[in-house]
Amino acid sequence: MRKLKYSDSAKVIEQLDVLSTRVRERMTGIRHKLVVMSGKGGVGKSMTTVNLALALARRGHRVGVLDVDLNGPCVGAMLGMRDARLEVGREGAVAPVGPLGIKVASMSFLIRRTDPVRWKGPMDLSPVWLGLQEMQVVRELLSDVVWGELDFLLADLPPGAAADKPPVIAGLIPDLAGAVFVTTPSEVAGEVVCRSIAYARDLGIRVLGLIENMSGYRCPSCNEHHALFRGDSQALCDALDVPLLGRVPFDPTLAETFDQGRPLEDAEHPTARLFDQITGRALALLDYRRLLAQEL
Amino acid sequence: MKFLCLKCEQYMAFEKVEAPEEGRLGVTFGCASCGGRFAMVTNPGETQLVSSLGVSLGGRAVPPVPLEMTRATLRSEAQSSATMAEYLATRAQEPVQAETSGGCPFSAMLREKGLAGEQPAGSTLEPAWSEPARAQLERLPTFVRQVLAKSVEAYARTHGYALITPEVIEAQKRGVDDIAWSPEASARLANIPDFVRPVARKEIERLARNRGATTVTGEVMDEAKTLFAMG
Repeated sequence: MRKLKYSDSAKVIEQLDVLSTRVRERMTGIRHKLVVMSGKGGVGKSMTTVNLALALARRGHRVGVLDVDLNGPCVGAMLGMRDARLEVGREGAVAPVGPLGIKVASMSFLIRRTDPVRWKGPMDLSPVWLGLQEMQVVRELLSDVVWGELDFLLADLPPGAAADKPPVIAGLIPDLAGAVFVTTPSEVAGEVVCRSIAYARDLGIRVLGLIENMSGYRCPSCNEHHALFRGDSQALCDALDVPLLGRVPFDPTLAETFDQGRPLEDAEHPTARLFDQITGRALALLDYRRLLAQEL
Repeated sequence: MKFLCLKCEQYMAFEKVEAPEEGRLGVTFGCASCGGRFAMVTNPGETQLVSSLGVSLGGRAVPPVPLEMTRATLRSEAQSSATMAEYLATRAQEPVQAETSGGCPFSAMLREKGLAGEQPAGSTLEPAWSEPARAQLERLPTFVRQVLAKSVEAYARTHGYALITPEVIEAQKRGVDDIAWSPEASARLANIPDFVRPVARKEIERLARNRGATTVTGEVMDEAKTLFAMG
């Protein structure tokens, strides 16, 4: 048996290399790729992603949003694209265009509105294969969606779980410019986000900054600001040496417009203004060398 | 993975893949020398493992189509998972072999090679916290406290501090304690927006250290400005 020469006729490694190359080739037309993540569910990652995308689009940038939350996709609904579909052609799956010209790809564009995301095979019964399967689906979304030329692609990552480690997913994106983290000022959320930031850094992902969401509540009647939590995101940022990009209070108007699929396009709305400010900070940090060359 | 024809001492060639039922693959191989053939049938777990890799068995003959795997494996409607349930039920009924070596063979192998097991007892002297430093730490939220304490203790160990004082915390926060700033350089740094300033400070101090300087002066700032302009 030792005399035999092994030949890899299935070329598995070569096939896997081809898959990675396809992702890289597909992403060449995108100038900056960013991920929005948290590690904790329910802190408003998708809302933040959509608002950042709108703020970038208002500045005249060409923007794409990839909803990587395979099991709880909601970016399409928030942008009023519940009925959109990924049209699959020879060149790939064409990302439908939403408000302000934002291109979007999401699992929700491949399934019926009320269907759960379920896979054929034994995944319902074991998370072992589910994790592998979902990573390949994310890889396929990255390699096969036609984005064309974009200034920014924002990937809305799922909350952390055994089957889909967000920093690992972020690692699938070639030449990732950085990660924007979202938290609420609660101790519980902060603790999880803290771990997620450490994990991302271990994998070499640049942490661009942190956004504190639900940072109080703006009363629609009296317009006064009330606290929702007692935590301190600034202390978290100081301890982790991460810039605090901004604080966004809970805004019932925003929640309602997203539920109705009418994203806030009005640049003068207080929350939109906050996101413009946050986006300006993120852009400055993304290109801090240019800023320093001008201002030092 | 390859299969060998023992009679001819030759690798068998991949012939085809079939799906005899959902969750199973039948992969046929043949020996080019004696014409012998056999088929391997996978269980649902093995099938999933292979299909989740996004590769084709026996090599890819045709180019992939967009979202090939996603669309092929996405259930459009909820279906029964009977096949896997059946498989798991069968497995559950199989007698479990008694372990003679006390656990997983891989763990045993790692233990044998000295790659697993308890960490050797540490002999590092842990730095102590001064009262003011501890008071400063305890004003922070719990999780931030843990993160900061770990970082400061690591910093103290590296820099040989036996006692952690507020000054040590400050030095750890700034990341350096070997670079001073001239009034001119500090004033120029103040022109930078506060959220970018920590990054700028680190980059400039790194540059100063690389140049063997102990103080960031106007000259160092000029050099940094030129370097940043170069991208």
